Amino acid sequence: MSTPLTSDQLLHAYQVMRTIRAFEERLHVEFATGEIPGFVHLYAGEEASAAGVMAHLGDDDCIASNHRGHGHCIAKGVDVYGMMAEIYGKKTGVCQGKGGSMHIADFEKGMLGANGIVGAGAPLVVGAALAAKLKGTDSVAVVFFGDGGSNEGAVFEAMNMASVWNLPCLFIAENNGYAEATASNWSVACDHIADRAAGFGMPGVTVDGFDFFAVHEAAGAAVERARAGEGPSLIEVKLTRYYGHFEGDAQTYRAPDEVKHFREHNDCLMQFRERSTRAGLVQASQLDQIDHEVELLIENAVRKAKSDPKPSPADLLTDVYVSYP
Amino acid sequence: MSRLPLTVGIIANPASGRDVRRLTANAGLFSSTDKVSVIQRLLAAFGATGIERVLMPTDMTGIAAAVQKNSHSRQARDSHWPVVEFLDLTLRQSVEDTRKAARWMAERGVALIAVLGGDGTHKAVAAEVGDIPLLTLSTGTNNAFPELREATSAGLAGGLFANGRIPAEIALRRNKRLLVREPARGLHEIALVDVAVSSLPFIGARAISRAADLAEVFVTFAEPQSIGLSALCGLWLPVTRQEPYGAWMRLDPNAAQALLVPLAPGLLQGCGVRDAGYLQPGVPRPLSLASGTLALDGEREIEFNLHDRPTVTLDGGGPLSIDVQAALAFTAQERLLAIGREHPQHPVNLQHQDTPGE
Repeated sequence: MSTPLTSDQLLHAYQVMRTIRAFEERLHVEFATGEIPGFVHLYAGEEASAAGVMAHLGDDDCIASNHRGHGHCIAKGVDVYGMMAEIYGKKTGVCQGKGGSMHIADFEKGMLGANGIVGAGAPLVVGAALAAKLKGTDSVAVVFFGDGGSNEGAVFEAMNMASVWNLPCLFIAENNGYAEATASNWSVACDHIADRAAGFGMPGVTVDGFDFFAVHEAAGAAVERARAGEGPSLIEVKLTRYYGHFEGDAQTYRAPDEVKHFREHNDCLMQFRERSTRAGLVQASQLDQIDHEVELLIENAVRKAKSDPKPSPADLLTDVYVSYP
Repeated sequence: MSRLPLTVGIIANPASGRDVRRLTANAGLFSSTDKVSVIQRLLAAFGATGIERVLMPTDMTGIAAAVQKNSHSRQARDSHWPVVEFLDLTLRQSVEDTRKAARWMAERGVALIAVLGGDGTHKAVAAEVGDIPLLTLSTGTNNAFPELREATSAGLAGGLFANGRIPAEIALRRNKRLLVREPARGLHEIALVDVAVSSLPFIGARAISRAADLAEVFVTFAEPQSIGLSALCGLWLPVTRQEPYGAWMRLDPNAAQALLVPLAPGLLQGCGVRDAGYLQPGVPRPLSLASGTLALDGEREIEFNLHDRPTVTLDGGGPLSIDVQAALAFTAQERLLAIGREHPQHPVNLQHQDTPGE
């Protein structure tokens, strides 16, 4: 589990986190113009979780996400331009513009989809993990849900079944402190989501979600267990979101300096830059180069997405079923 | 002038007992519910020994909330719990919360602080409170500093000491500590049990679960029955809590000798022992690696590289703690818990309470 990260792996992790941050910060600005249909729920601040878990997964491993899914998609390797076009509702999007932010999926990349229903990803990955087990592959399936999702019956049922069938499954509870506007320390009865694992006969751990290295290490141990046929695990990743539950959320339920404090003291990107360069494993100039490339990538994605065509009325019934008469 | 109420503090680390060792070893869980039970056992013992007020920090995991709710229960009333006063801190959900609570209690002049946590929690409190004695209770993973004790009996020992019924020379024990210093970086940290040098470059998930990740260990004491990093010395070159010196060990997978060690609960690992010896007080020791991480009391906390020259020094300036065994032996010898007929819990006063239908 603690195989040292190579410089290439470190640079990749930084690139993933930086891409997510830039993608979300740009959407924050663009959404305010009114050009983007539907809702967006931004993942900025939580990047280390997606990057730390996904560093252990390949295209054959499946993930299921939630309403806050952009980060999971990017870290799983979904095309950034295709995502931006999807969010803009354009025909060039990864789901031909019919899914939007909350339904981005890319099966080629093992991304089973963001999901508008809280907790609904968990049963999906149990199915994917069962498939892997029956086929005898060493693939794993991972679900990301929040502190709100952790209170859903579907998540409990999925955890129970994954444990009973000893499936190669990871349950990642991204606890950002709020289910919409409800504080998790009020609404999660046992307070530590990780403690719930004991009730399902699986190990549960809590990690610092601002620290890529902490998430990476814990997820590595859990993935290794799952691939070795030792069954599911629950990881509670404690982190914060920099923006509201959705764009436009006035966040009156948060302390005035809360986000400021986290941005100044617990920024996963800042921490990662400081520590990886200090350890001499990557150069600051390499990270600057990534910052620059990501900026161009996002700029191009937004520019193209804006000018791309929307689906036409004739597209309405395509892609709805696998085959349509 | 009115007398100040006899006050003690309780600090429970809400985060202890759920790190990555549940995945890499067979470590158990210490849930918030369990911690609440431990605190309530302490409150019963403090109530029985004349403690009037208990200070507790709030937390984000429902520990303080449950204690507050239960402090109005029949059980609390019947066992004469002290008044519980909560400090409303701005919580950051990090070790800083523990440090802040400890400083606040020191300012309020508590007679002792009961600490629920692992070695790391005790270290964080010790760094803030000078000579206020600690009543140590283990709710972490690999604990050497706090002993595994039933909170009720530990609470009796602490309460009787705080109330002046047991003299300090019997109830208190002075502990050793390790100082980790790097003046150029302004680094000045303490450890109560062990400092481990690891080649792992990052703090990561903090715990160390593989012998291959260990290069060197320094310990203040190492008991043969201990678990965790100090078990390396405990099973090779044991040192008691009382002896003035500590011990060190250098590890190397290619060394001629090797030792099987319980590095975490259920995790036995073969460790190559290159060399080991006693650690004399007051002598700064350089590290055997030029870069890597330092684990203080079991958790990687400090990343260092070629530009740093941290040293490790043992001294006898650690915190005072309650010697529960000695304190309770004195309690028995002096019959300190003998009660007269005027005591509400004397059998003659309890009889009428059993009347049915009351």
